[in-house]
Amino acid sequence: MMSESATTLLRAPEESGGPLPGLDRNAVEALAASGPPWLGQRRLEAWRVYEETPMPTTKEEEWRYTDLSKTLRLDELRLLPREEREFAPAGAPAPLTGSMRSDRAAAGHVVELDGSVAHTDLEEEVAREGVVLASLARAVEVFPEILEAQLATEALPADSGKFQALNAALWTDGVLLYVPRGVHVELPIHVTRWFSAPGRAIFTRTLIVAEEGSRVSFVDEALSADFPAQTLVSSAVEVFARRGAHVQFVSLQRMGRGAFHLSQQRTLADADAALDTLNVSFGASVARVDLNAELRGAGAHSDMLGLCFGEADQHFDHNTSQDHGAPHTRSDLLYKAALDEAARAIFRGVIRVHPGAQQTDAYQTNRNLILSPDARAESLPNLEIEADDVRCSHGATVGQLDEEHLFYLMSRGLTRAQAERLVVTGFLGEVLSRLPLGGVVEKVSGIIEERLRA
Amino acid sequence: MPQNEVVQDLGLDQYKYHFITEDEPVFRSGRGLNDRVVREISAQKEEPAWMLDFRLRALAIYNAKPMPTWGGDLSNLEAVLDQIHFYVRPQEKMERSWDDVPVNIKDTFEKLGIPEAEQKILAGVGAQYESEMVYHSLKEEWESQGVIFDSIEDGLKNHPELFREHFGTVIPSADNKFSAMNSAVWSGGSFVYIPKGVELRTPLQAYFRVNQEQMGQFERTLIIADEGSKAHYIEGCTAPVYSTESFHSGVIEIVVKGGAHFRYTTIQNWSNNMYNLVTQRARVHENATMEWLDGNLGSKLTMKYPSCFLVGEGAHGSILSIAYAGNGQHQDTGGKVVHAAPNTSSQIVSKSISKGTGRSTYRGLCKVYEGSRHARSNVECDALLINDTSRTDTYPYIEIEEQEANVGHEATVSKVGEEQLFYLMSRGLSEEEAMALIVRGFIEPIAKLLPLEYAVELNRLIELEMEGSVG
Repeated sequence: MMSESATTLLRAPEESGGPLPGLDRNAVEALAASGPPWLGQRRLEAWRVYEETPMPTTKEEEWRYTDLSKTLRLDELRLLPREEREFAPAGAPAPLTGSMRSDRAAAGHVVELDGSVAHTDLEEEVAREGVVLASLARAVEVFPEILEAQLATEALPADSGKFQALNAALWTDGVLLYVPRGVHVELPIHVTRWFSAPGRAIFTRTLIVAEEGSRVSFVDEALSADFPAQTLVSSAVEVFARRGAHVQFVSLQRMGRGAFHLSQQRTLADADAALDTLNVSFGASVARVDLNAELRGAGAHSDMLGLCFGEADQHFDHNTSQDHGAPHTRSDLLYKAALDEAARAIFRGVIRVHPGAQQTDAYQTNRNLILSPDARAESLPNLEIEADDVRCSHGATVGQLDEEHLFYLMSRGLTRAQAERLVVTGFLGEVLSRLPLGGVVEKVSGIIEERLRA
Repeated sequence: MPQNEVVQDLGLDQYKYHFITEDEPVFRSGRGLNDRVVREISAQKEEPAWMLDFRLRALAIYNAKPMPTWGGDLSNLEAVLDQIHFYVRPQEKMERSWDDVPVNIKDTFEKLGIPEAEQKILAGVGAQYESEMVYHSLKEEWESQGVIFDSIEDGLKNHPELFREHFGTVIPSADNKFSAMNSAVWSGGSFVYIPKGVELRTPLQAYFRVNQEQMGQFERTLIIADEGSKAHYIEGCTAPVYSTESFHSGVIEIVVKGGAHFRYTTIQNWSNNMYNLVTQRARVHENATMEWLDGNLGSKLTMKYPSCFLVGEGAHGSILSIAYAGNGQHQDTGGKVVHAAPNTSSQIVSKSISKGTGRSTYRGLCKVYEGSRHARSNVECDALLINDTSRTDTYPYIEIEEQEANVGHEATVSKVGEEQLFYLMSRGLSEEEAMALIVRGFIEPIAKLLPLEYAVELNRLIELEMEGSVG
């Protein structure tokens, strides 16, 4: 997939002496001291929660199939402080520029290099309407009121989990997108993150606030080369869709081997809001996505799509929840995984219909396609229903390529390999067909095809 | 003894068979569970040394294992266990003919509608009263075919080798905390052996009840269906209403050998103060079929997941589960299928109804080990919610290590539709009648598989439960 050899894509280790900072209290205190007091307190409190929360084990339902004691070596990881960097397309790594080339039709761009935002641009017209697209570190100074009210408070507070707390304590940069009331941003916002520092732990955050009646799409892509040492990327995503707002959030994870990707996402949809998400997982050695979608206003709805294509010994763990807390809400989830070689995918999803959330429609489908004898899939689609006037269903399947389909295609003159590619493309394509975002669909289809040809 | 004191005023969630027959146990262990109790049980039963060892080892495992934190609410269970008698032996001895059964026990069966079912339709009955088989008859032709249908105690005494070869091999003591408890203090239950090639046309029945206040019931059943045999075993439970919490923890092991076909049917209807924590599992060999038909209507909390371990090529497992959770009840039930051989297939169908503050939970596992090529499994769950305070959950676990396997799971949740009700009421049915009719239609796919007398009883119970369900 990468045209350059992996080593030229990696940062050389620092020459300067002295031990690199680890994930500890000193690091949190240093970060806390460098910002405003409200944020410093929030970081220290988050660190306290992190330290008090035991490391999840496979005894816990949500971590049943991902054994952190074997897959994550937090002690060996070193932090990477925020750096002032400039993004120059000319000298940038080819995978980064290659990917950005297809993202030209955009209302705005953000480029993040090793966890520090190096570039932002926003269409003038959009900026004039009051839309804010900014580095989160810079937003602390410029838009403190937005952050103080909504950063790690309602959506992903420190006490929502051990890794949520760790990110809230140690984040260095990220993205703020704010869309004022009634503003429609027609083209998507593209964020591209490039990681190249092996052995590091990088903590970034995304905060999206779409005010009443606004519309916006946000595409977040993570890229890296293969790492010779484990590299952790922790990403916390908070999305607020106020009354009647329409928000699309897409995460495209294409990191290299050696990466441990942790993505904690929470979406909050107020009355009549539409908050749709797509999580595409192609890369990393271990990728864990926690997505909690809360439908908290009457008439809110969320389409939740997921797509995963694994090979080698990749391990994907998707953990979703659909929380219906208000009447007349709707959610529809479709997650699909195609697994080759010794790849493994876990899907654990729960629909919760809370008391009083009558006339809820909630659906959940997980389908897994096993392409190799060593691949495996685990599926745990759960329902917890506490209201009676609801329509809920879920389905899960694990299966292999259908010989009949292959036979049909081969009888039309395709080779077996071509037929298999076509069936896999069709299988994953069902997810994309439900996403009304042309540019993203094309890009992801292209990646799938490229991968199937390899 | 006073009757009906604790029956609630509403017709809906009260227990159908709330009567208590007076009796005098011959031996009753002290309260609580310890080494001494286990030794007493073993001595009372005049068991061989290996069984005492087995029990004591199981007790150590029980003590070492923590209380489960999943499933239903077990927070009051420790206190309940401290209060129960782990062994009660009634004065009655094993009976061979109906005429010898003591009158007060016959009374109990009379109230349950057993005699007709037993005498007219059924050929043999192993009825468990308290912790031991007290009534037991076997049709002569079965005896001549070599079928063994004994109390578990007699199975151990009379068929020591066959017993020891299979006992504890399907469900080891360490499987879970309650299988360990049962292994330490088991008492009562059935021992069944169906010889090679023997097909039984009438079902084997064990009808038993718990009837001693605060008594724990630890029935243990071991069934061996030898190659090419075919049989159906029916176990039903009813229990009187008690004022304090009670406890039942059974272990049922079934070995279905090559080409055999075995069906196990349970309709459990415990009083709604009962903790019912049961482990039941079948090991299914090549080309054999195991069918569990599991109905759970009563109890305070039931945790029960009938399992099929498909260890032989071409084995088939089927689990049909029906649960009804009324006010204050939690049915945490479902099924497990484990595919460990090629060309195995399985099916789980679960139907649940939650009413009032009742909660039904489907919890299931479908596991396909690597090498189980062409394994197929399908799981379907339907949940019906009657009131806005009712709750239902679905927790299926699907673990697939084999590429050439096809596994599917589907679940739906619905409420009784206004349109359905309106239609039926426009045809002259009261709302209650219409509701009962809809619920009966919902469970019909499972009810139709039951022997007639059970289907009738199930329908009567559903009707009773639906009284007062509207307005």
